[in-house]
Amino acid sequence: MTIEAINEQLLRAIGVGVALLDRQTLQFGFRNDTFDEWFGGDAQQTQLQQLFPDLDVNAMQADLTNAGRFTSEIRFKKKRRTLVVALDFTAAEEDLLVLVCQNITRIKELESMIDSYSMMVERNTREIKREKEQVEKLLLNIMPRSVYEEFKTFGVVTPQMYDPVSVLMLDFVGFTDMVASQDPSVTVTELNDIYSAFDRIGEQFGCERIKTIGDAYITVAGLPDPTPDHAKAIANTAIRFVRYLTRRNLSHPHEWQCRIGLSTGSVVGSVVGIQKYVYDIFGPAVNLASRLQEFADPMQITVQDDVANVLKDTFDLKSIGEKAIRGFGNQTIWQLSDSN
Amino acid sequence: MAEGTLYEKYGGFSQISRIVLSFYDTLLDNDEIGPFFDDVDMSRIVDHQTKFMASLLGGPASYTDNQLRQLHSHLSITDAHFDELEEVLRGTLSQHGMTAEDIEVVIAEFEKRRPLIVR
Repeated sequence: MTIEAINEQLLRAIGVGVALLDRQTLQFGFRNDTFDEWFGGDAQQTQLQQLFPDLDVNAMQADLTNAGRFTSEIRFKKKRRTLVVALDFTAAEEDLLVLVCQNITRIKELESMIDSYSMMVERNTREIKREKEQVEKLLLNIMPRSVYEEFKTFGVVTPQMYDPVSVLMLDFVGFTDMVASQDPSVTVTELNDIYSAFDRIGEQFGCERIKTIGDAYITVAGLPDPTPDHAKAIANTAIRFVRYLTRRNLSHPHEWQCRIGLSTGSVVGSVVGIQKYVYDIFGPAVNLASRLQEFADPMQITVQDDVANVLKDTFDLKSIGEKAIRGFGNQTIWQLSDSN
Repeated sequence: MAEGTLYEKYGGFSQISRIVLSFYDTLLDNDEIGPFFDDVDMSRIVDHQTKFMASLLGGPASYTDNQLRQLHSHLSITDAHFDELEEVLRGTLSQHGMTAEDIEVVIAEFEKRRPLIVR
């Protein structure tokens, strides 16, 4: 066998489609077996455009003149499978055109699969991100942001001392009777409205609502970021709570009467619990606010002596004398009124 | 994608992609089921098979029952077709070295969807 014959055998058997064309007439001169297997068809088309009607022949001739090369891609169905073949035309000597065809079906199928997969993953990532934001929002509802950041980074929260802060404790008069005598769901809905309003008012004065226990509402000024005028902030908040309830009672069938106690001191804030955690504060200021609240008449605010001293210049305060406060001995306490 | 899914066990996307392509090849050559894909665009079939495999193996895709019902509602798929696909699936999975026990888990997942697909 001659070298030429061997070469031709190789060219015929190779897994790449090879054809030779006349550059002018675009008539096929030679097609190897692979090429015929892909593009043989029933009728033997002898001209390029007959075989590939969608091929842009003008663009091809232009590229061949400029760069000596032209590449394109065609898709066709073999049985029900879409085959994708890359065409590579090279201008050779004496008006000869060499066409090399590679089967890139698998590559295209893989591309489609990667597209499909990455879309699924991206969608999942978006969903996870949304869920994470929901969780974050929930956690921020129960603890201050700085505490949340610590919790997120270390998985635990170190109890932290905040000193000084002012604590507001609010309790409703006759709440137990109200729950018993009225539709509890209505009572709870109203309580929810009121607490939401309290949250908004507190926010305006930089207070951090710590928790509600039934009809008791606790908010703090000066936590987690220290505020020099925490006592004024808490007094302003307390006055607006009463103002809000007074106005609300005018237009609602159920009247809500509150008692408020204000105290100043140190508290320790921390996340308590592992499975069901809450952010809570502990310390004498919390207990004192609770006791002071008990001394208040309905819709009145009772203030600790230390707080009153700070507020005297700007707020309307009246001494209600010295009282024995459980756990705190005898203390002078004051009533804070709305000067407006 | 919970930990411990078959999708994870059999190597995640890099390995499952081989199963998908081999499943795709077998499916198109199959003269019982192949015709359903006669006029469907290649990238759509591949997309479909990728999600199909992922949802059966616990990968990052899941169709709701309603979606599945809707997607197949225009096709006259019979129990015989469904059985045939089950065989193709079984063959492909076993060819890729999945244990008989795990194959049964996948087939059970597949069977759950029969009422949504077959009319």
